[in-house]
Amino acid sequence: MTSDADLDESLRLIRDSARGIATPGDTRRIRALRFSTTGFDRDTWCQICAMGWPGLRVPEAAGGSELSMRAYVALAEVLGEGLVAEPLIPAAIAAHVLRGPGLASLLGGETIVIPAWQESANTLGVGLATSVGTRANGQKCFVPLAAGGDMFLVAGQGGLALVAADAPGVRIERQPTQDGGHFGTVTFSDAPAEPVAGALEPALEEATLATAAMLLGVMERAFTLTLDYLRTREQFGRKIGSFQALQHRAADLSMQIALTRASVEAAAASIDAGSPQSRAAVSRAKARASQAAMMVTREAIQLHGGIGYTDEYDIGLYLRRAMVLANSFGGAATHRARFAMLAVEEDA
Amino acid sequence: MSTEPDLDALEAMDDETFRLTVRQWIEANYPPELRNPPKRLHWRENRVWYMRLAARGWLAPGWPREHGGMGLAAARQLIMLEEQERHGCARTNDHGIILVGPLLIRYGTPEQKAFFLPRILSGEHVWCQGYSEPNAGSDLASLRTSAVADGPDWVVNGQKIWTTLANDANWIFLLVRTDKTAKKQEGISFLLVPMDSPGITVRPIVNLDLHDEFCEVFFDNVRVPRTYTVGEINRGWSMAKALLGFERIFLGSPKQSAYALGRLRLLAERMGVWDEPLFRDRYTALRLDLEDLKCLHARFVEIVRRGDTLGPDVSMLKVIQTELFQKITDAMLDIAGEHAGLLEPMEGNRELAPGALFIQARPSTIYGGSNEIQRNIIAKAVLDLP
Ligand SMILES: Cc1cc2nc3c(=O)[nH]c(=O)nc-3n(C[C@H](O)[C@H](O)[C@H](O)COP(=O)(O)OP(=O)(O)OC[C@H]3O[C@@H](n4cnc5c(N)ncnc54)[C@H](O)[C@@H]3O)c2cc1C
Repeated sequence: MTSDADLDESLRLIRDSARGIATPGDTRRIRALRFSTTGFDRDTWCQICAMGWPGLRVPEAAGGSELSMRAYVALAEVLGEGLVAEPLIPAAIAAHVLRGPGLASLLGGETIVIPAWQESANTLGVGLATSVGTRANGQKCFVPLAAGGDMFLVAGQGGLALVAADAPGVRIERQPTQDGGHFGTVTFSDAPAEPVAGALEPALEEATLATAAMLLGVMERAFTLTLDYLRTREQFGRKIGSFQALQHRAADLSMQIALTRASVEAAAASIDAGSPQSRAAVSRAKARASQAAMMVTREAIQLHGGIGYTDEYDIGLYLRRAMVLANSFGGAATHRARFAMLAVEEDA
Repeated sequence: MSTEPDLDALEAMDDETFRLTVRQWIEANYPPELRNPPKRLHWRENRVWYMRLAARGWLAPGWPREHGGMGLAAARQLIMLEEQERHGCARTNDHGIILVGPLLIRYGTPEQKAFFLPRILSGEHVWCQGYSEPNAGSDLASLRTSAVADGPDWVVNGQKIWTTLANDANWIFLLVRTDKTAKKQEGISFLLVPMDSPGITVRPIVNLDLHDEFCEVFFDNVRVPRTYTVGEINRGWSMAKALLGFERIFLGSPKQSAYALGRLRLLAERMGVWDEPLFRDRYTALRLDLEDLKCLHARFVEIVRRGDTLGPDVSMLKVIQTELFQKITDAMLDIAGEHAGLLEPMEGNRELAPGALFIQARPSTIYGGSNEIQRNIIAKAVLDLP
């Protein structure tokens, strides 16, 4: 059992090393990657692997670093602040399930494995219209950064299987997203597959919470930029941050951010403690983060005035990322519904 | 151009016949490929439609007939708006119709009216609005672009920004500082300037919708004949304020929200939530907001038609409409799930583009006087708070 001080120290270390890659404030790299074919950069991906992040939650015995969910959340938050485009969360899902040489080549950065589980919008969990085994058949949608993957970890009827992205019978259709990345609609027509043991669900829980943490980072950074703007922009001979109408708005946003942080960190602690309530806590955190991130990034545009509606100025990048993440791994309404269901089970 | 007998015939119709006449004409004349455009169209794209409206005499429903408008009653103007919205008609480059026309009708010299009004109606002059500057947005009266008299001309220097569709326009209406010593509101004049004047440079800015819709406009020793001054020198501010009323009526018109609400319904049907009671209640609340807005809007339009002056309460219209538009697009994001993050319309259907419409709804609470400024006006000028 680690002490609180140890935990704080390890979270600080992970945040610091994350800032080495995320460099909040420098969006040149992020802008250059927007709307490119893969949407991310392979060299940066290799750096991320060198840091051991895809294996953060993998047991040491299997080659991972076996850190806490609180550490994962701290990392995701910083990556959110920096708008990091590389597919850490999807790859971490795959790492959760894979073992042996498949896992080693994922953790080593040689193979990017992207999970493909969803079959329609606004759904949580694995779509079962796809069949997997030694062949895969069916169609998956909203597959994150599909065009940058070397392998798909396909979940469906029959469990899990690995399918090479360039295998015969695999077709990837790219759908660009507002943040400059893309989703793939991936069709498997009798594609050769290699069955994998295990289940995706626990990994999806962690990915959902990590996405909430990323949203927390996105909104915090957008808020910081907005506060800076309120402190410097002058109209009517005063800093606009001196207008009470805007001060109240900033105060409201800060409260949403505080609630999100509390909710996300509590959910992470609940997973770390192996609590039976952790799924409800994850839904609560994701519902809050999705809603708050949209509110904060939307208001951030408004408080910037005209310059907020330009692509040249960075504030819009945070809104666009929030638009994608808010609905990834379930939007606010979907998670409220799941929370209500879980709460009923608990109350019963 | 529409003839008097044609306008008389339209006026004699009952509302339903009028609506059907407008509808049939739009259906027969609107270019099908321009229905429900995903982004604001440029002049090169929407010109066809502008010219068809012009040829029919239907470009300026609110202008008096003597100046080539239709002189329509508020309810009829609303019907025209609704029918265009229903068909998915694009917005044109309409600054001449909405702003320059009413400005000149009220403050222009007979020569200015005779020269400019027909050229707006014929599509020869395409206008843009040069008010905002980098350091004069909400605080517009602190603008610094200057005009200095030199013989028969003004010499203009400075910079405008956020000028919508300046890259399409061949004329710009400008607020400039003509007296640097006076109180800031009292040294401003209104100028009409050809965009091809030597010394003007236009730089388009890519907006959040990734579209080159607004621009920076730079003025470097631009000579403008003094006959292009509107109204009295140094009295530009009060004219601009009067004009803001017209702008607010336009920005408060239910067209944007009505369009968005129609798209919300389509999206709800596509996402399978149309019959869910929770969604239907939310939709109905938005729909009631829209219906009430229409009634309020008609009242303000009627004030203008009677020739009365709009009060500061017209700010309400702008706030209500733009925030309704945003609430509708918020609802879209809430039901669209993963589709909300897509850059392109869903399934190639332009009417199912929740993410893009959400982004396009953002600036409506910023331009035309931000909603914070409108609330300041309501609090001070309408409610008389200290
Ligand atoms: C899409 C778009 C199109 C436009 N088209 C044109 C055009 O064609 N021609 C033109 O001249 N201009 C145009 N504008 C400019 C627009 O009028 C200005 O953006 C607007 O007036 C706000 O000014 P600003 O951008 O400088 O923001 P600022 O005035 O700097 O405002 C920043 C923030 O501070 C708030 N604020 C400022 N003062 C106060 C106060 N006293 N109390 C409370 N809050 C306050 C604002 O509401 C805003 O949230 C356009 C803008 C946009 C976004």
